[in-house]
Parts: sequence; structure tokens; C-alpha cells
Amino acid sequence: MKVTKKVIAAAITTAMVIAPAAGVQAEEETISLTVWGAEEDQTLLKELTDKFQEAFPDQKFDIQIGVESESTAKDTILTDVEAAADVYSFASDQLTDLVNAGALMNLEEVGEALSVAGRSLDDVKNDNVEASVEAASVDGSLYAFPRAGDNGYFLYYDSSVLTEEDVASWDSLLAAAEKAGKKVGMTFASGWYNASFFYGAGFTTGLNEDGTTAIDWNGTSPDGYTGVQVVQSMLNIAANPAFMAIADGDISNQLATGELCACVSGTWDAITAQGVYGDGYAATKLPTYTIGDEQVQQGSVAGYKFVGVNGFSENAGWATVLADFITSEESQQEFFNQRESGPTNKNIIDSEEVKANIAIAALAEQSAYSSVQMVGGKYWDPAQTLGELIAQGSVSADDEAAIQETLDTLVEGVTAPVE
Amino acid sequence: MEKKERGTALLAVKGFFAVIAGFFADFGRAVSEGDAFVKLSLLWMGAGYFKRKQYIKALLMTILEAAAIIFTVKFAMSYVPKFGTLGTVQMEKVFNMKTMKSEFNDYDNSFTILLFSLFSFVVWFAFLIVWMRNVIHVYELQKMAEKGKHIPTFLEDLRAYKEEKFHITLLTLPVLGIAIFTFIPILLLILVAFTNYDQNHMPPNSLFTWVGFDNFMSLFGGGGLTVTFGYAFIRVLGWTLVWAFFATITTYIGGILLSLLLNSKNTRMPKLWRTLFIVTIAVPQFVSLLLVRNFFSNGGIVNTICSNIGLTGFLRDIGLVSTSYIPFLSAPGWAHVMIILINIWIGVPYQMLIATGVLMNLPSDQLESARVDGASKFQIFRKITMPYLLFVTGPALVTDFVKNINNFNVIYLLTENVYTTTNQAMANSQAKEVDLLVTWLFRLTQDYYNYKMASAIGIVVFVICAVFTLIAFNRMIKGDREGTYQ
Amino acid sequence: MKKMKSNRTSTIVLHNLLIAVLAVIWLVPIVWLVCTSFSAYSGMNTSTFFPKEWSISSYIKLFHPDTVAQFPQWFLNTFIIACFTCVISTMFVLMVAYATSVMRFPMRKPLMNLGVILNLFPGMLAMIAVYFTLKSFNLTNSYVGLIMVYSASSGLGYLIAKGFFDTVPRALCEAARIDGCSEARIFFQMVLPMSRPIIVYTVISSFLVPWMDFVYAKMILNAGISSKYTVAIGLFKMLDKSLINNYFTQFCAGGVLVSIPISILFIIMQKFYVEGITGGAVKG
Repeated sequence: MKVTKKVIAAAITTAMVIAPAAGVQAEEETISLTVWGAEEDQTLLKELTDKFQEAFPDQKFDIQIGVESESTAKDTILTDVEAAADVYSFASDQLTDLVNAGALMNLEEVGEALSVAGRSLDDVKNDNVEASVEAASVDGSLYAFPRAGDNGYFLYYDSSVLTEEDVASWDSLLAAAEKAGKKVGMTFASGWYNASFFYGAGFTTGLNEDGTTAIDWNGTSPDGYTGVQVVQSMLNIAANPAFMAIADGDISNQLATGELCACVSGTWDAITAQGVYGDGYAATKLPTYTIGDEQVQQGSVAGYKFVGVNGFSENAGWATVLADFITSEESQQEFFNQRESGPTNKNIIDSEEVKANIAIAALAEQSAYSSVQMVGGKYWDPAQTLGELIAQGSVSADDEAAIQETLDTLVEGVTAPVE
Repeated sequence: MEKKERGTALLAVKGFFAVIAGFFADFGRAVSEGDAFVKLSLLWMGAGYFKRKQYIKALLMTILEAAAIIFTVKFAMSYVPKFGTLGTVQMEKVFNMKTMKSEFNDYDNSFTILLFSLFSFVVWFAFLIVWMRNVIHVYELQKMAEKGKHIPTFLEDLRAYKEEKFHITLLTLPVLGIAIFTFIPILLLILVAFTNYDQNHMPPNSLFTWVGFDNFMSLFGGGGLTVTFGYAFIRVLGWTLVWAFFATITTYIGGILLSLLLNSKNTRMPKLWRTLFIVTIAVPQFVSLLLVRNFFSNGGIVNTICSNIGLTGFLRDIGLVSTSYIPFLSAPGWAHVMIILINIWIGVPYQMLIATGVLMNLPSDQLESARVDGASKFQIFRKITMPYLLFVTGPALVTDFVKNINNFNVIYLLTENVYTTTNQAMANSQAKEVDLLVTWLFRLTQDYYNYKMASAIGIVVFVICAVFTLIAFNRMIKGDREGTYQ
Repeated sequence: MKKMKSNRTSTIVLHNLLIAVLAVIWLVPIVWLVCTSFSAYSGMNTSTFFPKEWSISSYIKLFHPDTVAQFPQWFLNTFIIACFTCVISTMFVLMVAYATSVMRFPMRKPLMNLGVILNLFPGMLAMIAVYFTLKSFNLTNSYVGLIMVYSASSGLGYLIAKGFFDTVPRALCEAARIDGCSEARIFFQMVLPMSRPIIVYTVISSFLVPWMDFVYAKMILNAGISSKYTVAIGLFKMLDKSLINNYFTQFCAGGVLVSIPISILFIIMQKFYVEGITGGAVKG
């Protein structure tokens, strides 16, 4: 009974899809859409949705804007996907979980809707830098619109204390900081930050089909470094008296105290850093660190901010058009103008004003060494603990066996099956 | 003594079953001895009342029966048949370019099936009882009619709800509220522990199903999914019990001492002092605790002061601290002690209020005669005040202990996002040394959507609480003391 | 003689000094809260106890809502929710307490035992089920839903009130019954007027619930519309990583503003509160 019903339903829907979609005429009904964005972007989102209504005068919209921070979007959305907004922004590390929960529309399925605005999915892919499109795709299908490419980290420093040579390597950086009686801060207790050392040495993380994480940090990287060596280097940095390990999220606080002459952070701290360093405000790529007698460039995580369409959105078509609108070239320009957000749109990235922005330029410089972090949910807690162990110096840098064991335990935890 | 207590417990259970047995016996008698209309009431609930000319009641019962049937057909039947599988139809959708909308198939949502089936069961159970009572009641009416007694009118029936049935009037709404908002959710939670509801099986996108006792197997390390879950569980459980013990005892004793101090004859302006302490209760916990947490954070103000006065350096010299700050809330040991201390700060004023009230009611004649006999202050306290306090507040102590086992606020607000475990085995199970069972399972559901494990842990927490409460209540409340003051 | 007197004076001084020291310890975080709320710097002050520059700007900002902080609106929302919660909860608690304390009926003991058992469950876990129950009645993102969550199960917290009613002399009720009073009249006209302390206690405790809760509120008001928040979620969100630097002092100011009315309520009702709770706690 049920099966036949389903077959009929499927047949009808297919017939409807095959039917020529030409000339989607404006309908009488008002399309209700909700949009979630970060607290600080609310005003801008309001402007953009107003413009959106102007761009489609034939269709009436009722657009509600809600607050949901990009970093925690996943938590709220996965609790009840059906109640979540039609269009929402989120940080790129949540992509896989959201896709698995069906919370993101496969844009290849609805891409056609963009024709209403005279655009296509290919335009989206061409407009934005390749890395961002790749990060927004799973198995070759695009799942979200890239909006910002500034969700990564680099080095802020006070150029009145440190020279450009000083900030080239951790050794010289820490030495100069110690001489100046200041400190260098970085968050170790977070899998998002501390992975940078491993990525730099050629290690990788990846996602398997079943949602588990693949990680090789307890072995030897293709570049010929061992995980133990990387941890030893981190331990040496952490043991330096000029180094300050900062809790996740506490960097801007510590920056504000004026004790740090340099710190690893992202564009969200640009204003604080500017205020503290004044004329000395400068930013650059991350320094190199020492393994044995070699210098290894510290890697980083290339994080993006995406705008996605809820997989359970009723008005998926218009939601897609709106999401595209919010991430279009003009909108990204507005985001840059008003929020100093680093764009993913190729044209804006190449513009002079973006290049002149110190923080975004540093991020671009670092992007040569950054990679997209593909990890599952089981990665974060063990990786955070590894960072904390190193930050507190709980393992000795000389005890290679203990370090190896620590890394083995880490890998065991990270690769555990998802449940 | 022990024997007697076990006796009362047994008696209570016995009494409970006696009530049920009596109910069924009444029903059986009503069905077998009732006249045609009583028997017809089995099918048409209004029949018996109709016969006795209680037309309004007959109509109400008929409406109730119709409502139950409509509920069954329209609501329950779309969920209950799927209860065995928890749904089989996977969500599928097609985008329709013409309407710009997604079109979904008629997919199953395991969670809704579970919830609404449960809801239906509870409604059916309630209806079953009403139905049986109805027959019993109609049979009573028949007997009244046979004896030629006056059959109450509808108004007289209604009046009974102000008189001997007043408890029904009082209890209906509260019990309904508890049933919907506490009872059904808890039943649901118990059922979830026997399913595979987790991140890979999250409705509405995918379905989950029954898995039997698998989750309990992996919780206790019986070759389950994660190697360390059992390890983490034991440690979290241990700290939960230690915490609950110290949190209860310290605030209890602290509250008594503070109230003794404040109520002493030597105290000047006791009202003012008491008010000052009460202010700390009045600040909402999420404000005061989040504040205190920032106060004691690694880069916080207390650390700044400690390092300025050289305390941090001193502690590092004697080897208590290995970091450049004092890890008040970020290292095991330190954090455990700090959490209990901060809880004293939060809890003592409250206990002080209770103790103040109890001390005011101290039997003054005993105190007077003791004083006349020349007992010292300390003796009076030890021999009279303390036993009285313990007697009076003992049961509350047990309730507090259970509350502390489930004390979410203090631990969550003080440690979430601040405390990083350095124990890798704990981290691999998403646990921390400072977690209580409740905060652990809260994280499992909020961050990892591991509802099945959280439910399994929830059941274990419940069993622990239940065992403890039963033992403690039996020891502390000697029999039923309700009559003492009446 | 003189020596003894001075001895006694010094005891009193020491005694009061001890209380003063304790009071200082207890008040330090509160003082810090108040001080920080008057700081000119919007982030967290970690280097000195007192702010470097004083200012009332965070209070001014609180009353000039931006998209993040809409304190007056939150305050109003919470106040409305608290009023309804308070009325319904108080009614439920008193009703259950009276029925279980004064009246005798066959299901009394089983119901009370069930109540004890339900209280033992970690309620946190049932949250998701409560959420979906509300959702099926279309009550998420509504104050009605939130009020229901806060008050519907309040009947379970009847024990303290029951303890209080247990102390009401049985003979009085019996006499009234003999005089032909209905049970309802005994409840409304005799027992309730005698129970002012426990009513005050119940009113205060249930009024406070919506001001303190951030878990349920966050889950149920999940549309992200800032103007619909309660004070607790609103303030809680200010401590978000991306906001804390700009809103920490406002968070403190908000905390102070919430605490003032509650403190006043407590101070005025102190006497009743103590009597109510001990009347009940005595019996547990």
C-alpha cells in the first residue's frame, strides 16, 4: 500500500520536474524565509535582505533575521533541523556534520533555481577562489556558498618591538620577545590551532566514508618527519619562558592586557590588535619552527564561512537564490567594507583595498601553507587534550617513548567509530 | 529496627497491589453481576447512566468514548503500528523548479514515532482505567437503584468534586502537567537507551531502531564501541559521589555554623549581616558563577594578584604548580577543591536561612533547664542543639544529596569551555575529570548527539539515586512522621 | 570585675570581626561585579580589581538596545514569563501539597512514591523529549511553551509545602468539617490564610525560575530572534567568544540590574521565606 503510494508520488514529482521550468512566474503567495547570521552581522544582513526584496519586486518575501553565531550554528541546527533557518551562515569545519544530518541542501539539486536571478551554479564556482569551493563540496557536489575566507589564523605582532626578521621563525621570535620582556601567545589546547604544526610537517587528517576520522600523526609524514619530532618542537616552544599558552577564546583578553608582543589569531582580533599595537600594528604569515636543525614552515587551517540552505527548507528554491545573493560579489564587498571580512570572491580579493588590509593580507600570505581541515566529531576532545598536555609540559621532550604513546592514544581516540 | 523498616516497605508494596487487585475484582464483579445496561456499558460507556436517567453524564461519557476512538484512528494509528520498527521509510526529496519548493515523500521520523506511540500508550492506559471505573460505577448505580436509593443528579455529582472528591479537583491539572512534561519524557528517555539513536542515526534525515542491551554492554566495557567509555564512566561516577557528599556536608555544616554565629548574643546588627549574606543568593547563579569562573581563570584577576604578591612563584618553588599561573579551575585536584569551595560560597547562605529558622524553634525549655544545671555552651550545643538540628533537617540532607548528584548548574557554569582534561583516556570518551554524570551526558547530547549513551547513563544515575534514597530515607525517616504535628 | 568586662568586650569585638571577615569574603565577587559594571573598558579587566576608569556607559548602552543587547525587552519578557510561571506554579504546588497532606484517598501513597521516583531522574536528559512534545503542539518559540515547561511539572516540588501543611492542626479542619464546611472552603478560607509563609516561599522560588534558567530557554526559544530572549539567555550569549570583549561589562551591568529587584524581594520577604522553608524542611 505504502509502496505503491510512494511510487505514484515519485512518478508525479518526476513528471513535474521534467515539465519545462521556463518562465517561473511570480506567484501571489508571500514566501517566508528565515536567515541566521552572527550577532555582529545583523545590521548588514538586514540591508542585504532589503536589497534582495528590491531585486525581485514581483515576488513578495517575508524575511526574518535571527542570531546564531557561526561557530555554534551546528549545535542549534542539529537539535532540530526542521526548526532551523532556511538560510544560515556557519563555519566550514561544521560542513560534514551538517551534510550527514541532511541539514544542508545539495546545491547541485537546486542550482537550477538560480536561473531566476540569471545565474547558475557554475557562476558561483567560478566567482569564488577554488579552495573555498572545494572546502564547500562533499564528493564533488557543492553544499554551501562561500562567503568569507578569513576563518583562519596568522601572526599579529608589534613592529615597534619585533622586526620582520624576528617574526620569521619561532626561535628568533621568542628570543626577541624575551629580550623585550614581552610574551608570544598562541592557543595550544585546541585541535584547530595545534594541528598547524602537524600540517606544516606534512601530516594530514581526513574523513572516511563512515564519518570516522583518518589521522596519521603517530607515524612518519611524507616529508620525512615523525610525529614525535613535531611534539618535541612544540614542547620546546611551550617551555620557552617568553611563550604563553592561552586558552581557546581567551586571546583577545590577553592581547588587551598589553603583555603580548605577538600572537597567533585571526581577523576577529584585528580591531583589538590595532588598538593595542597602535602604529606598530603588523601581521604576517606564521613563523617557521625547528625540527632537528631544519626549519619547517608552520601550516594552518584554512577556515571559511559559508552560507547554506537548509535541507528541510520548504522554499528551497528562493532560499538558494537568497543565499547566493548574500554571498554575491556586491554582498561580499559590503561585508568587507562594513565588517572587514575577508572575501572569497576572486575580484574582490584582487582589489587594492583588500590587499591593503594588513590582517587579510597576512591571511593571504599564510594561505599558501594552509589546508582545509577534514575531521569528524571525535577529533576535537583528544586533540585539545594533546595541546593541553604540551602546553603544561606534562610530557618530557626527551622521553620519546612517552610522546609516541601519547600520540598513539590520540590516534586511537580520534579514529574511534562515530556513534 | 531494620526488620521493622523492611516491614513497612513491604507493607506499602503489598498495599499497592491490594488496591490494584481490589480494582480488578470490582470490575469483574460488575461485569458478571451487572444488568444488561452495565454490560452494554462495556461497549457504549454512556449506557448505564442513560438507564438511570443521568442523561448529561451519559452524553459526556459518550463524547469521551468518541474522542478516544477518534484519537486512536486519527492519531495513534499513524504511529503505533510502526513502534516495532521505529519507521522504515527513509526521507527523500525532489526539488520542483516550477514551484521553487522541495517536495518530500511521506517519510518516517523515528523520534516522533517513539514519542507519539508512547503518548498513545499513556492515553490508552488512562482511558482503560476510566473505562473500567465507568463499568464499576454504573454497577454501583444499579445496586443503588435496586435498593431504591436516590440516584444523584448531575449537580449533586458535580458538588462531590468540592466535597469528598475535592482531591481529584486539586490533582487533575498538576498530575496532567507532570504526566506530559516529566513522566512521558522520562519514559521516552528509558526507551532511547535501547535504540541506536546517535549522530549516525538522527531523525529526520535517517532512522534509528531498537538494539536491545548493546548500549549498556558498551557502557560497562563489554566489548562495546569505545574502549574507554567504561573507564571514563567509573571515574566520572566516583567524582559525582565525592562531589555530592562534600557539597552536601560542607554547605550543611557551614550553614549551621554561620547561623549560630549570626544568632549569637554577641552579634551586633544580626539583621544587617544576614542581609549581606542573602545578597549572594539573589544574584542569579549563571551570573555569579560565570563571574567567579572568570575571577579564577588562568589569566584572571586572582592569578594576576597571586603572581604580583609572589604566591604563584612560591607555589611553583614548592612544586605545587608547574605552570606560570595557578590552575584554579583548569587542573584536576585544584579544580575539584575550588569547585567545592565555590559551592560553599553559593550554598552556605541558603543553608544558613534554613538553619536560622530551625534554631528559632529550638525547644527553649530544654535549653533553659540545661543552663540552670550549669551546662557549658559547648555541652548545650553538642547535647541539645545539634541532635535537634539533625533530627529536623536530616531528611532534607538526603534530598540535598540527590540534588547535588544532579547539580548541573554549578559544574557546567564553572568548567564548560574552561577546563581541559590532560587525561587522554577521558578525552577519548569526551569526559573530563570534573564532570558529573549529568554534565557528561549533557555534553554527549549537545555536542555529540549521542542520545543512546546519554540515556543509558541517565538510567544508571537514576538507579544510583534510587538506591541511595531508599537506604537513606529508611534510615533517617523512621516510619511515617506525618502525624507528629497534627 | 573591670577585667572581666573588657574581656567580654573583646569577645564581642572579635566575634563581630569574624563575621565581618566572612561577609567580606562572601561579598568580594559581588563587589567585583558591581565595580566591573561601572568600568569604562568594555572587555574583561584582568589586571586590577577596581576598574582603571569609572563610567556608567555600560548601563547607558544596556538601555539603548543594539542588535545584540536588548536588555529592556529581555527584562520585560522575563518578567511576563515569571509572573505567569509564578501564578501557575504556586497554584499547582499548593494544590498538590494540600491534597497529599490534608486529604486521604486510596491513590495518595502510590502517587507520592511516584513523585519521589520522578524527582530522581536527571531532568536534563528529558529536555529533548519535552522540546519535541512542545513542538508537536506548535509551542516552541513561544512564551506559552516556556511557561508550560517552567510550571507544568511544578507539582513535583510539593514536598516543602506539604511539610508546612502537615503542621496545620488537624483538629481545626475536623471542626470545620463537622460544621458542614466543604473541603474546598476549608482549603480556601481556612488553610490558605494561615499559610502565608509557605505561599510567599513558593511565590518567590517559582518567580525566580525564569530568571535563572538558561538551558531550557535556549532550547525552546531557538529561532534566534534576539528580542524574544529572556534575560538569562541574552546575558549568557554576551559571553560568546566573539562578543565577550565588547560586552563583558554590559553582562555585569545586566547581572546587577537583575539582582537588585530579586535582592529587594528577598530582603522584604526574608521572614516569611525562613518560616516557610523551615516549616517544610522540618519534615522534608
